[in-house]
Amino acid sequence: MRASARDALIEGWPLFLTSFVIGVPFGIAARRAGLGAIEASGMSVIVFAGAAQFAMLDLFARGAPAALVVATALLINLRHLLMATAMRPFAEGRALWQRLAIAYVLTDESFAMGIGRLRRGTADVAYYLTFAFTLWLAWNAATIVGATLGGAVTDPDRLGLDFAITGAFIAIVVLGIRDRVDVAVALAAALAAGALRLAGASSVAVVAAGAIAPLVAAAVRRVR
Amino acid sequence: MIWAAIVASGIVTFATRALPLTVRVRLPDGGPARAYLDALPTAIIAALAGAAVIAPADAVTRGAELVGAGAATAVAAWRRHVLLAMLAGVAAVAVARSCGY
Repeated sequence: MRASARDALIEGWPLFLTSFVIGVPFGIAARRAGLGAIEASGMSVIVFAGAAQFAMLDLFARGAPAALVVATALLINLRHLLMATAMRPFAEGRALWQRLAIAYVLTDESFAMGIGRLRRGTADVAYYLTFAFTLWLAWNAATIVGATLGGAVTDPDRLGLDFAITGAFIAIVVLGIRDRVDVAVALAAALAAGALRLAGASSVAVVAAGAIAPLVAAAVRRVR
Repeated sequence: MIWAAIVASGIVTFATRALPLTVRVRLPDGGPARAYLDALPTAIIAALAGAAVIAPADAVTRGAELVGAGAATAVAAWRRHVLLAMLAGVAAVAVARSCGY
């Protein structure tokens, strides 16, 4: 158990660092979107999902209705259903509260680390939870730092800080590409979202483009 | 209003994480529905990025975001590293903006 925890910290530190480096701009962006430091922190504790949180900030800044904010968060986080399904070996024989703890800290990063460990050996819950809760700490600490020091950064756009999460999103997409269908889906989604936003549908642009583009994969992959 | 949206988003998000681990959820094994679900994460993340690159502040980019996207894409493909790609994108955007783009 102790070896599991040690491995998780050693193997996980690049991701803890990344989480922190993206979490600070999140805190800054939250303040610019009109949220208080408590609200920014509350989001990171209650929602704890980076991509959804950035999309929610965008909608808060536009004064979008709460229902649209929730629908956007739901769609962005539907991928958790797939990841949690693959994580079932970690929940086997566990009490309900342990399963809920495993679920609460399930992210793209903790999924990748947990499944990687599973493929090399066993469903190592100590490894997974050590990694996932340390990542949680990094994200929440960074949110507090960004939200409290946010006012001191006079012009974050000049430093390109507003692009931090976009750059991370691009990298995540590029690293996840397996074949030409993935490339087609990604380009379709990106272009559709940009076009919809320019056409004035800014609040629903991401949700609509994200929901429509996978139809490309549904149409093409069915033939195989 | 903001707190209601945060709490409700937290509840639906937690549900997507907890349901498969607590009750029997059957996802489609194959076919177009599965292909759609599998492609959803890439599409959502790409849509978030695409909107921010093409239409920052709801107007056509003046170029800096395209330069940043190119830098982030190149470094991600080359080094397979999210943090490095992100830093390259941020640096490229800062340089492009200082040049007036």
